[in-house]
Amino acid sequence: MGIIEKFFPNVVPLWSGPDGVVDAINQTLYMTFWTTLVAGIIGLIVGILLLLTGEHGLWENRPFYSVLDKLVNVFRSIPFIILLAVLNDVTRFIVHTGIGPTAALVPLIAGAAPFYARQVQNALLTVDPGVVEAAESMGLSPMQIVFRVYLREGLSELIRVSVLTIISIIGLTAMAGAIGGGGLGNLAINTGYLRYQNDVIWVSLIFIMILVFAVQFIGDIFARKTHH
Amino acid sequence: MSAETVITFDDVDVVFKEKKKEAVHAVDHVSLDVNRGDIYGIVGYSGAGKSTLVRLINLLQRPTSGSVTVLGDDMASLSASELRDKRRKIGMIFQHFNLMASRTIADNVAFPLRGIKSKAEIKQKVAELLDLVGLSDRADAYPAELSGGQKQRVGIARALASDPEVLISDEATSALDPKTTVSILNLLKELNTKLGLTIVLITHQMEAVKQICSRVAVMEAGAVIERGSLLDIFAHPQQPLTKDFIDTTMQLDSTLETIAKQPAVQNLGPNERLIRLTYLGDSTDQPIIATLFAKYQVTANILFADIQSLQDTPFGNLIVVLTGEAANIDTALQFLKDEGVTVTAVQIPGGKK
Repeated sequence: MGIIEKFFPNVVPLWSGPDGVVDAINQTLYMTFWTTLVAGIIGLIVGILLLLTGEHGLWENRPFYSVLDKLVNVFRSIPFIILLAVLNDVTRFIVHTGIGPTAALVPLIAGAAPFYARQVQNALLTVDPGVVEAAESMGLSPMQIVFRVYLREGLSELIRVSVLTIISIIGLTAMAGAIGGGGLGNLAINTGYLRYQNDVIWVSLIFIMILVFAVQFIGDIFARKTHH
Repeated sequence: MSAETVITFDDVDVVFKEKKKEAVHAVDHVSLDVNRGDIYGIVGYSGAGKSTLVRLINLLQRPTSGSVTVLGDDMASLSASELRDKRRKIGMIFQHFNLMASRTIADNVAFPLRGIKSKAEIKQKVAELLDLVGLSDRADAYPAELSGGQKQRVGIARALASDPEVLISDEATSALDPKTTVSILNLLKELNTKLGLTIVLITHQMEAVKQICSRVAVMEAGAVIERGSLLDIFAHPQQPLTKDFIDTTMQLDSTLETIAKQPAVQNLGPNERLIRLTYLGDSTDQPIIATLFAKYQVTANILFADIQSLQDTPFGNLIVVLTGEAANIDTALQFLKDEGVTVTAVQIPGGKK
């Protein structure tokens, strides 16, 4: 009998097969990837809109900003576990199922996009307004300024908040998993915790941590490359 | 001389209204003409409205009322794309340089040309401009690796990339040390002569104006309170603020304090008078001090003398104690005035009894 079987008696039979560890890892990766992609795009667009329409923005528009700003705040103030429950019907309507990783994507995106939007707005606000003014004085259009000044000059800050957001998305997938989404969160709670199989909890935790560290590591490499 | 007007401010007003705060009248009914080839200096203390005024030129600031015409077009009437084209004809440099930290020097200079010119053209233009500002060897460096003066040179090269006819300098030397300031101002002067570039320069340093400007406007509380050629303003300042600026530049205010402490000044006799003489250019052909004695038996004890060059014209400031018969001194002073010398009686602050 090997050391693995000794310390992880419940993990070994659970490794592969339906609802096993490998499955759980794949599901977590699946939820993290799609949430990051979709919430990333939505958050980036909304964040840029907040930036442009906010005070002293290139398209300053108080009514529009105030509506968007409040919308973001409302979504950010809902605890995620409650958002999961609230969005159940919406989820069924969109993906025609209430459980599984795909169903979890709807609340995950709804939870992560406003968070990321605010992070993007704050990241881009760190770009020196003088540089933006210089670009304006050179005859650049607002869209050119977004792509060639804000996203470029704010890139290292943008990478920092993106890493932060992805890590928080991994955290959310664990919560979504626990109420029917699958993945490592589901494995840790519904298999490990509820059946008193502590080794399963530990293995879930280890894989989540590996995932978080990997994201942080890759983010740091990019951040270093963009810093001058 | 009928010079071509390139910038016209016509009764321009800018009012900032903030919620729950009193409205700020940043620019107060300003009318001003800038001619082609001018180096137009606008001086004033912080908050006088200089920055707001120059931002009206490229419409970074919209006028509340009045109009600003640049190179023949009323700026406020242009469409968004016409405005962008026009802005390429108006370069701007800044106090804090405003370079992009994530781009190399060459990329910063190339920035305004992206998407307008071909890559080969941009490369050639950037090389020319970096050569012009003396930074060819730093093309691949990043702004963080440069000194303040070098950064401003990059700023100037970038501002010139789209061959502007007008250059706005927004306190461009205020963050630099005196020696670097002189070299940047010389560069601007060179560009003005070489390229015929019209420059509008705002600053709180009269020193900078003295070095390169041909015309000057003095601003206070949003309004232009005095304007004229550099020589006129220096020789015959009218407003207290203008005099203040000039005295600070000439270091006359601190000199007066020192002079006031001298016994010769504190104990002026009945036949002695403390006088300041200011003259410009050709009034210096006559040996005036010698003439005072030869003609009027008035001796001059020179306490302070300073001669500076304004656009290659000598500009002299003397503080003297004149000694002689009261009537003779009066005649002597009249002689000086006739010679074009400005005569001012100097009041000693807190003179001892």
